[in-house]
Amino acid sequence: MVTGKGGTGKTSVVAALGFAATRAGRRALLVETGRDENLPRLLSHDARPAGYAGRTYEGGLRSMRSDPYEALAEYLRIQLRVPGVVSRVLRNRGFRQLMDAAPGWRELITLGKVWHLEQQKDARGGPLHDLLIVDAPATGHGLTFLDVPRVVVSAVRAGPLRRHAGAVEAMLKDPRDTLLLPVALPEELPARETAELVQRVREGVGIAVDRVVVNAVPAPPFPPALPDLDARLAALPRDAALPGIPDPAVLARCAAHLRGRFELAREYVGRIAEWTALPAVELPWLPEGVRGPAELERLASALLAGERA
Amino acid sequence: MRRARGAAQPLEPAALLRSRRILVCVGCGGVGKTTVAAAFGLLGARLGLRVLVLTIDPAKRLADALGVGALGDEPRPLPPALLARLGVPPEGRLSALVLDMKRTFDDLVARFARSDAERERILRNPLYQHVSDALAGSAEYSAMEKVYQLSESEDVDLIVVDTPPAQHALDFLEAPERLLEFLESPVVRLLLHPAFAAGRTGFRLFQRGAVRVLQLLERASGIGFLQDISEFLLAFEGMSQGFRERARTVKGLLSGPRTGYVLTTGPGADATAQGCAFADRLEEAGVGLSGLVANRMHVWPGAPCEPKAFTEDGERALARSLARVHGASYPAGAAARAALALARGYAALVARDAGAIGPLAERVRARGGFVIRVPEFDRDVHDLDGLAAIAGILAQERPR
Repeated sequence: MVTGKGGTGKTSVVAALGFAATRAGRRALLVETGRDENLPRLLSHDARPAGYAGRTYEGGLRSMRSDPYEALAEYLRIQLRVPGVVSRVLRNRGFRQLMDAAPGWRELITLGKVWHLEQQKDARGGPLHDLLIVDAPATGHGLTFLDVPRVVVSAVRAGPLRRHAGAVEAMLKDPRDTLLLPVALPEELPARETAELVQRVREGVGIAVDRVVVNAVPAPPFPPALPDLDARLAALPRDAALPGIPDPAVLARCAAHLRGRFELAREYVGRIAEWTALPAVELPWLPEGVRGPAELERLASALLAGERA
Repeated sequence: MRRARGAAQPLEPAALLRSRRILVCVGCGGVGKTTVAAAFGLLGARLGLRVLVLTIDPAKRLADALGVGALGDEPRPLPPALLARLGVPPEGRLSALVLDMKRTFDDLVARFARSDAERERILRNPLYQHVSDALAGSAEYSAMEKVYQLSESEDVDLIVVDTPPAQHALDFLEAPERLLEFLESPVVRLLLHPAFAAGRTGFRLFQRGAVRVLQLLERASGIGFLQDISEFLLAFEGMSQGFRERARTVKGLLSGPRTGYVLTTGPGADATAQGCAFADRLEEAGVGLSGLVANRMHVWPGAPCEPKAFTEDGERALARSLARVHGASYPAGAAARAALALARGYAALVARDAGAIGPLAERVRARGGFVIRVPEFDRDVHDLDGLAAIAGILAQERPR
């Protein structure tokens, strides 16, 4: 279950985890839960949506978007054995407006779908997917999302819903089944929000969390052999004539800016690890952004290297 | 059309703040919108206005930025001595408020309920407990309702509103209509008045299906789903007339001439693409942008240069200069190469940010809006000095 503040690159991390899982020889299914689909355009050069039925990419990686209404129709069809008239009702706009106002069911049905996917078997009776990676809603909403089964179990005394919610809750709370993976940025606000998230998970929600991903961590401005080059550039005479290149003061200012952002990021990586008392897995900042498979390969390598470290 | 409107003189930030009652700061999450909103607030105070900055984000970001600790329900003024240090004249005021959206919605129910009993019935309904979360945008609507209340105050010249990062740009503008549409939808009406559907065959068929699904959910859940919904809707229906009128007034204020909109975007292609989508939605809704703040931009810190033209002569000269100052033992050749590689990388970042924002900036200017680039600072901006620096950038940079 991957969560994080908006803008932290949570979806890129989900996609990179999918690449890393595929490289490690595991059949992963990535599940989007938002209103829009963002994974297909990252995972492949062909951006056609995966939809509820899902789609398979190179290497056997799969992704889907769990639409709550499709999941509800499927649930009613399979679990409650209700005929097809249900789908027609669920497609009705007025009915949707009514359902949109009803609390909790979207979260529950989405997690129910994850549970159902987890139960699926392949032809030989083994699990159909080795790993489900869920792009859960952003921090705040993310915890409400994961807490719904517990609320249902405590509020509903009997009936199939209680039974199903109980199964989902058991899956979420079993550390062998489910891990929560917070994604942070090495900056003030995302760092604080991640610390709050981890605290609330420990205090109440009860889902295992064993590490934090810190995304977009910049590299030092210069190679290790030249640790203080920015200071040395700043010390050059201002009027040094350098044909065809920026004068030393400009070079020093570029370096100072990148040095500042690098040091700030180091501070926050440290603070995130300290505030959450968890190991921080760092992903590099890619100046060109995460646009597709090429960048995901780099992030997947960093994830796997972080795993070994 | 573009040319005709582009001919209009863009309103500079200072003039915009002086001529508006409300400034709405929109944009996606994570671009520094809250900081920009606070900086506009400080700029307004520097112009001698009495400014209230209102943030809807439940995180205490604005509190952090303004250094006022936890904010409550009442606007918290910044101490005059502090404001004076930030260049605010004696008549200028700056206060901040973090909005409690749930409570604003409760206030709304309290106002439009026809009796105490009706109010209690709504507030205690289990469905109501979730309605502000569940109805997309109702939280944003509550926020705008609060803006309306505050705008009626004589003590404030300008309200700067930091909108929540919405998945859909205009949730706060469209929420009242969506709520009303919901209350008037056929399914809701048939639940309230089953007789409404009698005699309409297609509708009766649907009614049977809908009631069946609801009964199934009720049976599966063991919750009085139908009863809760009907009670909630019956109670809400009574107030919908007052609510409707109020919603119209609020919308009128927000789309009127005394409300300005400023879009904040972040650096890079993704953030800018999101900003463009935002601008599209605003335009579709007939809301014009008064300006664009391109935040956290990489700016080239010197005379323009062309990294492709960096010469080997230049690199050698730099190496010689480094060796002269730092001694023959310093690896000056490698250092010169690394310094120029860094400059190329930095120039690429500058070009990336400028290229990404270019078309959107052009579009905003063509429609008479200002464009301001705020450079990314070497440090995070979470204190008043940082805000003052951004306010300075907002004030000084002239639209080009």
